Amino acid sequence: MSQDRYILGISAYYHDSAAAIIKNGEIIAAAQEERFSRVKHDPRFPVNAINYCLEEAFIEPSDIDAVVFYDHPVLTYDRIIKNCASVGASSASTFNSATKSILGIKLWVDRHVMKTIGTLGKLGKIVFAGHHLSHAASSFYPSPFTEAAIVSVDGVGEWSTTTIGHGKDNSIELLKEINYPNSLGLLYSAFTYYCGFKVNSGEYKLMGLAPYGKPIYADKIYQHLIDVKEDGSYRLDMSYFGYMDTGKTTNQKFHDLFGAPPRLPESVITKKEMDLAASIQHVTEEIFIKIARHAQKLTGSKNLCLSGGVALNCVANGKLLREKIFDNIWIQPAAGDAGGALGACYVGEHLYFKGARIPANGKPDLQMGTYLGPRYNDSEIEAFLDRNKYVYHKYDDAQKNQFLASEINKGKIVGFFAGRMEFGPRSLGARSIIGDARNSEMQSKMNLKIKYRESFRPFAPAVLREDVNKYFDLDGDSPYMLIVAPVSDAIRKPVTIDENWDGEDMIPVINQVRSELPAITHVDYSARIQTVHQDTNPQFHNLLKAFRDLTGCSVMVNTSFNVRGEPIVCTPKDAYLCFMRTDIDILALENYILVKEEQPKFEEKENWQLKYELD
Amino acid sequence: MNRQLFQYHPSIGYKFISNLKTRIQHETGGYLVRTNNWGFRSEIDFNKTKDPAKKRVCIFGDSFTAGDGVSNKFRFSDVIEQSIPGIEVYNFGLPGSGTDQQFLLFQEFGKDVECDLVILVVLVENIRRIKSHYRYYFNEAGEKVIYQKPYFDIKDGKLELFNNPVESQPLKLEDLPESEKEKVDTGGRFGMARSIVNALGLKELTQKITKYQPVPEYNAANTPEWLVMQGIIKEWSSMVNTKFLVVPLPLYQFIEETSDPKSYQARFHELHGELGIDVFDPLDDLLKYTMEERRNFRHKTDVHPTPEGHKAIAKSLVPEIQGLIK
Repeated sequence: MSQDRYILGISAYYHDSAAAIIKNGEIIAAAQEERFSRVKHDPRFPVNAINYCLEEAFIEPSDIDAVVFYDHPVLTYDRIIKNCASVGASSASTFNSATKSILGIKLWVDRHVMKTIGTLGKLGKIVFAGHHLSHAASSFYPSPFTEAAIVSVDGVGEWSTTTIGHGKDNSIELLKEINYPNSLGLLYSAFTYYCGFKVNSGEYKLMGLAPYGKPIYADKIYQHLIDVKEDGSYRLDMSYFGYMDTGKTTNQKFHDLFGAPPRLPESVITKKEMDLAASIQHVTEEIFIKIARHAQKLTGSKNLCLSGGVALNCVANGKLLREKIFDNIWIQPAAGDAGGALGACYVGEHLYFKGARIPANGKPDLQMGTYLGPRYNDSEIEAFLDRNKYVYHKYDDAQKNQFLASEINKGKIVGFFAGRMEFGPRSLGARSIIGDARNSEMQSKMNLKIKYRESFRPFAPAVLREDVNKYFDLDGDSPYMLIVAPVSDAIRKPVTIDENWDGEDMIPVINQVRSELPAITHVDYSARIQTVHQDTNPQFHNLLKAFRDLTGCSVMVNTSFNVRGEPIVCTPKDAYLCFMRTDIDILALENYILVKEEQPKFEEKENWQLKYELD
Repeated sequence: MNRQLFQYHPSIGYKFISNLKTRIQHETGGYLVRTNNWGFRSEIDFNKTKDPAKKRVCIFGDSFTAGDGVSNKFRFSDVIEQSIPGIEVYNFGLPGSGTDQQFLLFQEFGKDVECDLVILVVLVENIRRIKSHYRYYFNEAGEKVIYQKPYFDIKDGKLELFNNPVESQPLKLEDLPESEKEKVDTGGRFGMARSIVNALGLKELTQKITKYQPVPEYNAANTPEWLVMQGIIKEWSSMVNTKFLVVPLPLYQFIEETSDPKSYQARFHELHGELGIDVFDPLDDLLKYTMEERRNFRHKTDVHPTPEGHKAIAKSLVPEIQGLIK
């Protein structure tokens, strides 16, 4: 009988379901359900992700020691009942829908697990980890630290919305928490909704919009919406929010405060939305930094681990880093609910079974670059291409890198599919669309003809780790694209602000060339950086080196391999479809190179643009 | 399905993609599939050259041999390997294949493999497949498509191969000549009636009452299908330069005694008597189990063997194999 201990972690039912599996404390696999189901942020029980985890571990379900769920549905239900009781009759619809959801699905986690894998593991029961403990575990245990302060901030999980903890060796102690309805995550989401973006996915757009505006509403937010103490604790004035009783994040009083109803989705973005975005971003950063200071004070630690959806706010992360409250910061790349699956595994391993931690032994962390998803071997790719009679060229590594570097230098856009898929919301060179960051037309081309998304949205640079400080004011690693840092002065270019600019039309602002890398330099000279490392992604690293050899530049645009509203591609087939539906010029499926002009005529029965709901 | 399992093969029609590691979702939850360097379900790579210290058995067959519905380690081939010290078993099973395709697969991959025993496992239903020229498959979009398959016919007493190489792209039923439309294997007899009975949940009862004969192609020694099957086995036997064993594997109707096995048993008995080919029929051994145990030899809806079914088949085969390779 196997002496190995396997723990399956599951997150589901709220937002972005996922599964993860660890073996003796080492991550084997993790993936979001959306990548397989092709439904963005799929909240359903992650049948396909679980199947993948068992595939990667190559074990029978009977080999699993414990199945750990990232949340405690009973506590969540407790919160909903008390929420509704406190609000009264107006919350009836919330109560009814939540009750159906919780009682219909969430309390039957064990049944779903039994149906999916036929066992509850050797333990014979599901372990319910707790939402914020799962988040905390997801950031502390894979981090390189043996001791760290842990901060988790998200919308809500059970009762908690913000927690501070302390991790030491294999233990985690939660020291302080802020409870629902007070929630920094839900405050940010309220502005996301008010500015016309989708809650739970549009937060990123709001963050990208913020640099276009000025934080002129920050005082108003502090005066009316949130009361913040010096230790980072806060209270919301719930009379401005709707999520306790109506299911909407804002209400009429909120709209009156800012003088208008919410912006309609897909309508023109005005200066007001830009200023609102800048204001809530500013407030969030200030609170985030106060929470971090308090966490440092409580724990005395030099290290910080971050998780929860708010930890995906890479602008705030960058500011926090530059505050130098902590010597070291590690952020879980799947910081949202998906990462809870991984955290649940660790709760099982270290807190339930009391397993010892695996030392990082000089590695940057134990997350393996977050390349934890499926890989497709040459035989599979070739079989797929041959079966469909797609035209391809098979190159060796050097030929491939030289060809792609040369084509990118000519302005071509490449769909880059290599190795194991990323776990978490960012594409990091395994399922990426890449292009020349020096090309002044790249941002608009990629936004409008590849991604079919709003033109203001910035693109991120992938840069060789060893060259990062040539281009950016960052002296460290950012392998997970979770740190925003300034573009260095040396490559900046001055911009002229038209004195007559009315602040409404963003296009002239967007199109200004701000640096030698215009495609990745945001309006405020910032960039959301991915440092590319030879040890975690040699394929992408080697391509960047080939590009540097050819051009002298070791930076490329790196954006997720998908179109707006579509989950990031997982399989060669997903990649081919995205390649053919967009203006991507070249597809690199591992070492199989496909050129758009050489492909057979592409026809689809359904209109894919109707298939994906806009985010 | 997250991964493509099969790739085109010009002679056989298709084969497993090599070096796969996957888990196929199934009514049991799922099962693990690993394919090796040659593209067969196996935990080890295949080599033509044999380790002199070991006995090697090569097994050919369809999905029942390949192990649809169970992980590699639960298949009868793997259980046999675990049961007999000092042997290795190469499983060349190919799901959905007929004996004709298995014979071509032997020629392509198995002929030059050093071994002590070749076993051809004929799921008795395979006789239906050898008369077909096309098979239905469901593509990734869930659409029913038709693929050509190779087949043999007897001409002037000799086997003649058709549809070779096989067309790589799917075909449309409406594009086939009328004479060929009836050569599409639809997966069993009485297609429409079967669908209705299955939908009503009356399959087993109906089969028992009607004394359903799933494979009438065995009813006489001179049916065209049996003549082709006999021709293939005869030629295969002549190409094997070691011991050769044919195992007719019964359908669940025979194991659960809703159908009479006499016809097919008679044909394989004749094969032994007339051609001197070793035949081992495991049905008698399988019938020794209780009816409840036998029902558990197949899945709830999938008719492929469960681990218990594979174990029972292996248990029956082990003494025969030990006798042949000692």
